[in-house]
This record gives sequence, C-alpha cells and structure tokens, in this order.
Amino acid sequence: MAICQFFLQGRCRFGDRCWNEHPGARGAGGGRQQPQQQPSGNNRRGWNTTSQRYSNVIQPSSFSKSTPWGGSRDQEKPYFSSFDSGASTNRKEGFGLSENPFASLSPDEQKDEKKLLEGIVKDMEVWESSGQWMFSVYSPVKKKPNISGFTDISPEELRLEYHNFLTSNNLQSYLNSVQHLINQWRNRVNELKSLNISTKVALLSDVKDGVNQAAPAFGFGSSQAATFMSPGFPVNNSSSDNAQNFSFKTNSGFAAASSGSPAGFGSSPAFGAAASASSGISTSAPAFGFGKPEVTSAASFSFKSPAASSFGSPGFSGLPASLATGPVRAPVAPAFGGGSSVAGFGSPGSHSHTAFPKPSSDTFGNSSISTSLSASSSIIATDNVLFTPRDKLTVEELEQFQSKKFTLGKIPLKPPPLELLNF
Amino acid sequence: MSLFGTTSGFGTSGTSMFGSATTDNHNPMKDIEVTSSPDDSIGCLSFSPPTLPGNFLIAGSWANDVRCWEVQDSGQTIPKAQQMHTGPVLDVCWSDDGSKVFTASCDKTAKMWDLSSNQAIQIAQHDAPVKTIHWIKAPNYSCVMTGSWDKTLKFWDTRSSNPMMVLQLPERCYCADVIYPMAVVATAERGLIVYQLENQPSEFRRIESPLKHQHRCVAIFKDKQNKPTGFALGSIEGRVAIHYINPPNPAKDNFTFKCHRSNGTNTSAPQDIYAVNGIAFHPVHGTLATVGSDGRFSFWDKDARTKLKTSEQLDQPISACCFNHNGNIFAYASSYDWSKVRTPGPALGAPRQQSQALGSEGLGLSCDSSQDSHVSLGRSLSPPCKGKLQDFLKWLWGFSTAFGQNPAHRKCSASVSHYGLLCSWAQKHRQAGGCTL
Repeated sequence: MAICQFFLQGRCRFGDRCWNEHPGARGAGGGRQQPQQQPSGNNRRGWNTTSQRYSNVIQPSSFSKSTPWGGSRDQEKPYFSSFDSGASTNRKEGFGLSENPFASLSPDEQKDEKKLLEGIVKDMEVWESSGQWMFSVYSPVKKKPNISGFTDISPEELRLEYHNFLTSNNLQSYLNSVQHLINQWRNRVNELKSLNISTKVALLSDVKDGVNQAAPAFGFGSSQAATFMSPGFPVNNSSSDNAQNFSFKTNSGFAAASSGSPAGFGSSPAFGAAASASSGISTSAPAFGFGKPEVTSAASFSFKSPAASSFGSPGFSGLPASLATGPVRAPVAPAFGGGSSVAGFGSPGSHSHTAFPKPSSDTFGNSSISTSLSASSSIIATDNVLFTPRDKLTVEELEQFQSKKFTLGKIPLKPPPLELLNF
Repeated sequence: MSLFGTTSGFGTSGTSMFGSATTDNHNPMKDIEVTSSPDDSIGCLSFSPPTLPGNFLIAGSWANDVRCWEVQDSGQTIPKAQQMHTGPVLDVCWSDDGSKVFTASCDKTAKMWDLSSNQAIQIAQHDAPVKTIHWIKAPNYSCVMTGSWDKTLKFWDTRSSNPMMVLQLPERCYCADVIYPMAVVATAERGLIVYQLENQPSEFRRIESPLKHQHRCVAIFKDKQNKPTGFALGSIEGRVAIHYINPPNPAKDNFTFKCHRSNGTNTSAPQDIYAVNGIAFHPVHGTLATVGSDGRFSFWDKDARTKLKTSEQLDQPISACCFNHNGNIFAYASSYDWSKVRTPGPALGAPRQQSQALGSEGLGLSCDSSQDSHVSLGRSLSPPCKGKLQDFLKWLWGFSTAFGQNPAHRKCSASVSHYGLLCSWAQKHRQAGGCTL
C-alpha cells in the first residue's frame, strides 16, 4: 500500500478510513483500549487528541460532501501523532537529556518527558499570546492532574469581587489584587516557559503524581521556588459565607498566629502584614511553607488543605524580607496581597466571618484586616493541626526551629510548636 | 422601576445605540432584539418548557434582576414581569409545568418565582453564591438541584427549608446540566462528575477532564432514543469536548474541537482564544450551538463533526444562549462577560462606551451599565423536509432571512441605514436568497 503522505505530515483527514498506509500508528492504535493516555511507550501520540479539523471553515462544497459519510465519519485519530502543540520533535529546548533528573529514564520515557515539556512550553506560549482567560488551572495532558501554580477563578467570581468592592468604594484594592493575580500568573507562565531543572522536576512530579508532591520539592532547593507562585487566592469558599471571601480564605492558622496582634494587622492596609506581627510570624512562615506536604500543592496553597492550616502564610506575604530564610514563601506575598484588598471586604459587609465552622476547615473568612474584624476573632485553631506539640518534633527539627535561620536540606516538614512562635 | 413600557417590537431597543456615529456592530446578524433588556450583563437565559403554550423567555442579569418576556411568533417580545434578588442572578430555570421559575443568585439563595401570582419565595440557602439551578422531575420525586461555590450540591423540596440531600463536590461548582436521569456537574480545578438521578441522586462517575483548562459550561445531549447519553463541555480555551458516558469506543467517540478562535484553520500563527460561554443543544435536531467571548455564536453537528455556521462578530461577548422548546427560536445575550481582565488600565472613571471593543478597558470597569446588554432572538421557519441535515440547513436559511420577510424587520434595518455596513449585508443576503455557510 502506498504510504499516506498526509499522515506523515500529521494531517491525514481520513484517519482510520484512509486507504493509504499509516506507518506506525496501526499497532499502537489497535492495542489501546482505554482513553487514558499512557506516557510510556506511546511516544507517537500527540498529547492532545483533539482533532484539528473541526476548526476548519467548511466550504459549501465540502459541506455537501460530508453528508454521504453520514454518521460517524470518524476522523478522530486519537493516537494520531499530530503535534500541533508539541510542534516539532526536534526542538531543542536547551536542556539535554543527559542531565541528571532524566538520566535514569529509559529512552522512551525520556522522549515522552521531552514531549510533555515541549507541549507545556508551547501551551504556555499560546496561553500568553492568545488573550484567553488567565485564571485557569492547566494540565498538559488531558486526563492528568493539574499543574501546580495556577488557580482557578471563574470570570463570575472575579466579577463578584468587583461588585463587592464597588459597594465599598475601594476599587483600587480590587485592582491591586487583580494585578497581583495577573503577575503571579505571568510569573508562573514564564517559569514554565523557560524550564530549568528544578521546575522540570517539579513539573514532572506534578504530572505524574498529582500536585501533592510539589511542596517539598520546592522546599529543598531551588531558589526559583520563589517564583513558585502559590497562587494565593484560596478560592475555596467552603462554609463561611463568601461572596466576599473569594480570595481570602486564609487559614485559621494565620489567624491564630496573628491573634496576638490584631491591631498590627488592622493597621496596614497595604499588605496586610503588619510589621509587628511579622517577626512572630516569619519564623513560622517557612515552616508552614513546608509543612504538610500531603496538603498538596503549595499551589493550592489554601485550597485543598482540609485541615491544613499550614498555609497560614497569607499573612506573610507582606514580608518577603522576613521570609528570607525559607526560600519559598515569598510568593505568598501576592497571595496575601489579595488579602489587603480584603480591606474592602469586611466593611460593606457585615460579614464578620465569624463563621468558624469546624476546626478542620481552613477557611478563615478573611475580612479581618482593616476592619476590626480582626484576625483574632474566631479562629478556631486546633493546635495540633497548626503547630506540632514540642514532643512530637525530633531533636533536629526542634533545633531548626530554634535557630535563627533554616538550613537548606534540614527544614522541618512539620509546623513549629506554638511555644516557639513569639508574637 | 417602570422599565416595561408597552412595546412595539424592535427598533426601540431601549438604547440609544443608533445615535452613535461609530459603526454599530451590536446586532450584525439582524436578529430581533428583545425590548427592555436588563441593565447589566446577562448571565443566563431560559425558555419555557413545552407545557406552556407560547414562548416565554427568562433572563437573569448582574443587575440583580430576573426578567420575563413573552416572545410571540411574529418575533415581538413583550416584557411581562420581573423579580429582584439582592445579588446578581447567575442561573435560572423553569419547572416542568411552566408555572414556576427558579432563580439562583450571588446572594447565596435561590428563589422560586410563581408566575401566576408574581410572588417569589426563597427555597434554598448556601454558604456561597449559587451558581447553577435545575429542576429535576423524576417519577417518584421532584426537586430543585442547586450547585454553589461552597462546593456542595443541594437538592431542595421547595416546601422545606432543609435540603433533601447534600452532596459534596471536590471544588466549586462552575456549571451543571440535568436531563433526567442524568446530571453532570463541572467544577473548578477541572473536576467533572456525573450523577444518576433515578430513585435518588447519587454520584455515578467522576470523569477525568478531557480539557486542559478551566471548565466553563456544560450541556447534556440525547441519543436517538431521546435518552441522555453524553455531554458537551466547554472551557475557557476555546475548546469544546464531546464526551459520551458509555461509548462503544471511547477513544474514537469522544473528541474535542476548537472553536471561538480568531483564526481557526491556521494553528501556527498566534491566534486569539476566547472562552466558550454557553452551549445549547437543539431539542429536535441535536445540533449544538456554542457562544463565546469573541462575540460569535456557532452551530455544529457533533455526529458529522462539522461546523455548520458561524455568525458575524458582535461587538460584545455573548454570555448566554438558549433554544426554545421546539428549536424554532435561538436566543443569545450580548453583554460583557468579564473576559478582558488583562491589564488593569486607568479605567476607573473611564466613560462608558457602548458598542466599542472592550480591549482598552482592562478590567472592564466601564461596561457595567445599561446600554450594553442585549438579548437577541434568531427567528426561524420550521423546516418541512426530512433528514436532519436538510432540516437544519433549512432552519438556518430561515434563520438568516426571516427578517427580510417581516415588515417590522425592514423597519428596523431601515433605521440603521446610515450604517452602510449593516445595510449592505442585509441587501446581499436578501438577494442571495440563502445563507452562506
């Protein structure tokens, strides 16, 4: 049979129905039953099984042609090697496959990884240039979990924020928080576009295992982690009423930490983090950053942390300086930045989110800051979630907590004990 | 608020659109504009069910109101009634007998509006804005399903203040659709869950998202036996996924397609990608309509996997769409959907601009007012011939030329005659005698 030239170019319109031969796709295609893409061994498959043809404008003539084919003119070739997003396989990104993280992989896996990363880069470029909605999660391969570092905010949620701010006459803070979100997003996109080793490692672990492992990976090592972008707008509005809280679900941890100095928080509209509170909090910040790896993505920062107050961090955002010790938590800054706009929140409303439902919920209902709804109110911090009792820490960890700065490589994964925090 | 004066149809769309000197692209398709449009963006549209004689359209808007119009066969729209919430209305739906309308709002409540008495009572309460609301009519129960940003799905018997059932969602509910016995909910973080509603609602399956970005809208479609068999899921990335629940060959049957992009065919050049704001299936033909932030709507045939028609570009995003119960009327709402949040510009206090591209306003602060929202109706003639595609073609033909036959329509286009652009389009169309696909 003649080899199909279009297939080789990745553009065969007939797919399975093609009368010419499609080399290589036969075997791979036949064996695969489940829709799930398996990275290993199927490096010819495009990550996107989208069929490219649907974007064609149908000319009248071709339209009438389609009718005889009736029913399922199956053009979709799921395992079609059309790299529309992965572009060329030859594109060298500047990272050779010989670098350590990849050395242990088999050639097939290596190729897959490479394609995956290329795909991600391409997607990021498209995302940036296309003007599409930026506050969205992203996953490089359809069925895989999301990459960390992106938060999902729907246009309606953002708009509601705007409406709420309108009533409080504090549009500037709304603008600020949106600007922060945009900056975070941009940073994350740039980070993904210019892949270096640490982001790559994190990405790959993200993709394989879901976002859970991201935190520790960042904890140890890369200074780029600073750009990691916990997106910071914990949009998980559980329990307490939240039309207003959309971003500021900081966890009770935060509140607890700050309970000592509500006034401090109240006073600074800008980044919510008052200097006075900072010192006390700074020590815990890094710890929080690393604490609870199981609490998934640093990205989801406050999201998926059921009990996890570990990200009490929002407060810290204002303190990049004090976070010098922990490489990570600087990104939290923007996260909280949103918090500052909370200033706008509490006021119109009425919502003192004193709804503190269950200790396990991390939603803080942030409106505290500028209003006197301070942080101090109502945070039900269950101690053993936020702070580990001293006896549960190993000697080494205790030492770390007690020292002035964390040493890289020895940063404890548990939150510090309450006693060590000095407000 | 006496916004409902007596109307005589179009031309008087309640805006001063025709006064502006710029090219007015707010209704390039020359569809009928609904009179007394809401004052702020329209979030949701819903037509009355077949049990009600005539066509009634409900629209919920960000101006905290829900309005009801009667749409007559001539195309005339008569505003009928309105109800208010204390927050923007995010979703509306009808009960199956057409006597009640359910509305879901950002004020964390849902209300039931009895149209005959024009009373609305609260029937649901959540901890966060209620994003979706649907009426479920099962043989042994009927209830209202509300999905909210508080990550719960609650089912309400309208008589009681406690929900009949509460189901937890993995994340905030972004969109949902119900066709008994199937319900689909799409959440944040690309979550997708299918529920089965027989006997009592229960989770049927969690599906891994076929899309790479945030989910925006979902619509269930039926098979030839009129049973729900799958759904179409739209994302913010100008892509729609067609997903069957139990297909014979998932790899082949499920697919995604790109839509609402600036240059669809040429994928290598940078293109603008727009969110898909709404998906609706034609109740008879099973073809689907998508509306996007680019201000266009398109019709697709998912079985033949082809695009049938794309409209001209409106000057604003299209935020919602709906077919009436027999598919003769397609309503779409043209209003800002907050999609242009790119760079906050010095937009505070910028004068509101109607029918201008929104690019410069950044955060869209200038677009939250009256003139900018329209609901338009595409009229159509019912197709006499058989064959689905033939039917649909005819429907489209009627769709695009119906205006020419209605004298009132001509009046409308006459009044915009100084916009040469629009006029010539109309002329060409009339002469061509058919729609160019």
